[in-house]
Amino acid sequence: MRVSRKVFLVLAVLVLELSFFAGDQAQAQPPQATPPPPAAPRSLQIPRAVEQTFTNGLRVIVIERAGTPLVSAQLIIKNGAEVDPPSLAGLAHLTASLLTLGTRTRTATQIAEAIEALGGSQSSEAGWDASAASVGVMSSKISPALEILADAVRHPTFKADEIERLRQQYIDYLNVQLSEPGAIASFVAARVLYGAAPYGHPLGGTPESLTRIKRADIVGLHRNLYRPDNAILMIGGDIRADLAFSFARKYFGDWKRPALRLRPSGQQHAGRSLNGKARVLVIDKPDAEQAAIVVTRAGISRRDPDYFSGIVTNSVLDGYSGRLNQEIRIKRGLSYSVGSGLDSRREVGPFVASAQTRNDAGAQVAELLLGELNRLATAPISETELVPRKAVLVGNFSRELEQLNGLVNDVGFLAMLGLSLDETNQFVNNVQAVSASDVQRFAATHLKAGEASIVVVGNAKEFLPQLKKQFKGVEVIPIAELDLNSAGLRKSRTRASKIGR
Amino acid sequence: MPVPMDLPRAMHKTFVRDKEACASFRKTCPQSLRRLSRLRRISVPAGLLLLLVAGQSVSGQVKMPRLDFHERTLANGLRIVSAENRTSPTVAIQVWYHVGSKDDPAGRSGFAHLFEHMMFKSTRNMKSEMMDRLTEDIGGFDNAFTNDDTTVYYEVVPSNYLETLLWAEADRLSGLNVDAQNFKSERDVVKEEYRQTVLAPPYGRLDYFLQQKSFTAHPYKRPTIGSIEDLNAAALADVQAFHASFYRPDNATLVVVGDFDQQQLDTWIDKYLQPIAKPGSPLPRVTVKEPQRKKEVRFTENGPNVPLPAVGITYLTPPITDADAESLRVAQTILSAGESSRLYHALVYEQQIAQSASATANLLEDVGLFHLNAIAASGRKPEDVEASLLAEVKKMQDAPVSQAELDKAINQIVTSQLLERETNDGKALALGTATVLLGDPNRVNTDLVRLQAVSTADVQRVMKKYFNSENRLVLYYLPEPAKSKPEGR
Repeated sequence: MRVSRKVFLVLAVLVLELSFFAGDQAQAQPPQATPPPPAAPRSLQIPRAVEQTFTNGLRVIVIERAGTPLVSAQLIIKNGAEVDPPSLAGLAHLTASLLTLGTRTRTATQIAEAIEALGGSQSSEAGWDASAASVGVMSSKISPALEILADAVRHPTFKADEIERLRQQYIDYLNVQLSEPGAIASFVAARVLYGAAPYGHPLGGTPESLTRIKRADIVGLHRNLYRPDNAILMIGGDIRADLAFSFARKYFGDWKRPALRLRPSGQQHAGRSLNGKARVLVIDKPDAEQAAIVVTRAGISRRDPDYFSGIVTNSVLDGYSGRLNQEIRIKRGLSYSVGSGLDSRREVGPFVASAQTRNDAGAQVAELLLGELNRLATAPISETELVPRKAVLVGNFSRELEQLNGLVNDVGFLAMLGLSLDETNQFVNNVQAVSASDVQRFAATHLKAGEASIVVVGNAKEFLPQLKKQFKGVEVIPIAELDLNSAGLRKSRTRASKIGR
Repeated sequence: MPVPMDLPRAMHKTFVRDKEACASFRKTCPQSLRRLSRLRRISVPAGLLLLLVAGQSVSGQVKMPRLDFHERTLANGLRIVSAENRTSPTVAIQVWYHVGSKDDPAGRSGFAHLFEHMMFKSTRNMKSEMMDRLTEDIGGFDNAFTNDDTTVYYEVVPSNYLETLLWAEADRLSGLNVDAQNFKSERDVVKEEYRQTVLAPPYGRLDYFLQQKSFTAHPYKRPTIGSIEDLNAAALADVQAFHASFYRPDNATLVVVGDFDQQQLDTWIDKYLQPIAKPGSPLPRVTVKEPQRKKEVRFTENGPNVPLPAVGITYLTPPITDADAESLRVAQTILSAGESSRLYHALVYEQQIAQSASATANLLEDVGLFHLNAIAASGRKPEDVEASLLAEVKKMQDAPVSQAELDKAINQIVTSQLLERETNDGKALALGTATVLLGDPNRVNTDLVRLQAVSTADVQRVMKKYFNSENRLVLYYLPEPAKSKPEGR
């Protein structure tokens, strides 16, 4: 039986204006010179989630959706990279990644082969605020797949050779990543915003921090956080809810809750003001073929009552027809990709606006990005502009939910933060309720350009003189002196005195 | 290997009008459309903090739901393939033009792709970017991609807007009206695209070099993105000429999938697309044949900003319509799909000689190209990486793969298709590929039979037939040698 609930998507909201059409070109044209108007909109159905909490504290959430004969399952742990000790950046991610690389009864190779032979795939990793292991299988194979998932989460062995192998792979991968100006700019921006606080370090760690992680650290993190009362099991797809619950009970029902009380999840930023001092920071990478520019400042937490105002505000800036792309790409041809994101987490997440451009345009693009933040914070937005930007949000959301993985991810995220699962069904209404004055208020409160820091990574000699004319107090760090391990971002001359343990 | 991904979303967005547009086509990137294998792991813009890949699996006999469609050809030559699917109130519209970067005019490499960008500027009845007004602004999306053989424009919109979009697609097929200002600014965007995809990433040039060197005569040797010099040489007049040559109803296929009524669709097609005239001139077609390779060719290229040495190996293979195509696809999957694949298991896991390794059967219309790519693990030499790649090839030549390994590969291919066909635009992509590149939309249903007919002997046979040293090109991509003295600039 399918349980679903109807939601009306208000999509047909655009009133096409005559100014859209280049009507003066009219010659002998095909049938007509203006587009035919839309017909009446139709409705979309979003399946409803049902849930149980087992006596061991495990919360199990099932979403039935027939159609494609697939089931997706995720075991979510309600902590991620934000719990990494300062000197051990990457610990949560390394721990999560190792889950599928060996258990008491299965080797890494056996796990990969067992799942891939079924045409499926498995993965496990940490994000901010959560870690997760997941499998996806044909509906008829959900039972063996859940058995492997449970084994990986409950009985990983963290063998020394697997740790070494993965550590080396991640270090190599990071070194590749750290040769891209865009990646460097993002890492630096997080440090500028958060310093040594959680969310400040690269999620996957640095080559140096990964080297410091010991097996005991991994085992300890697993023992403390991977427990049923800190976990959520999501099962979604072409499966009956009662069957899904019975499989969940079979493989996770006897997962013991440790006697030790779970310490509260999530770390506080302890009153630290994130927008303390706006900085303009240049990472000089002379061999960079483009400059990557990131403008960042504190955003909001996902539970902030202003969340929907925030995502609507961001949508005005972001997206192909958002203001940033309009100004930088469409009007001026300065970039191929421009955008912004309001990354709302358990605690206050970052707001980021970014672009890549030719080196000699780096200063101009930084100015344009800031200018758009300022414009939004100081001048009202018209309804004509706002309505389509809300439609973009609603459209992206409904397409995400059309796919099983998107649906399971979305509901899992709400569950992870303890928000009502019904929010999925309220999304459209919540977006539509945001007014033009809400947007301006949000922008004025949260996007003030004066509080934003700027990071530019590229060949500095091409943009630095101009940048110095535009901004006071520009700091320059040569790439060879950049240290992502420290809040100061600069290598100390005596490298031996790194963060101790 | 799951990799850490914590870049802000904005950094990953592959916006629109994207050359390697597979990235913008949701998560799926069909092999037939993928231009080059990617060495670099692409961070999936998951949007959430959890990056959870859901795999899917199929056991034994795979059941793939049949994709029923309706086919129609107009008197002006326009082909229409449509499939009703009323499960969500959206519709996907795609227009496939049978023109790609192999059709770039002489001295204008990159032009087909640059032209694709111009199709979003003003047309006979639409102002610049009006296509975005008709899609993005009502909660839909639009985009396009260009590859060697085709250029595809696509939209997904709430289904009550279908008629509007048919009007718009008919309008830009009928004529462009681009001005010099738009042309110049959009050409600058494409130059930034070149810098961002070829120059800035550490291995962008590797793919570029491989494409250039893998063909000697066929225009496939020109990378789709072109070069800065050729982009600079392109002029506004070229735009009109290109439209007149290739953007005509007898060179186009319209694919519509989703929430619509077939009869209603037919009346709209009669109204908007039927009246477009078919030009009298013949369609220009590439006739150059790529000669067989006679002996192994080797190159070494150095690039700035290369953290670890990389190796690329290519073999010429038959075109996408060849009977061996399915076996090559299976070979690619056995070599490269998942952590239990041969390349990952041997090079990355067991030997730890490579940071990543992949195989891609790039099945093109005129002649195919099979890639083996690997980035060395730190401290490892490209010679050793090459030897390991070739050793894996030899194993598959010397002994047949096991039936279990073959079954696994077939299940992986089918489930990736199941995932692709979860959405209307994915279904439309499958129908367009079958119609335009394979010449028959029925292939969306019949290819499964071909795939399941591939035997372990077939895989061994194609490995022996195409993966020999005479047919091999090897490229080492290395960091620039350390400078012996300071630069005197």
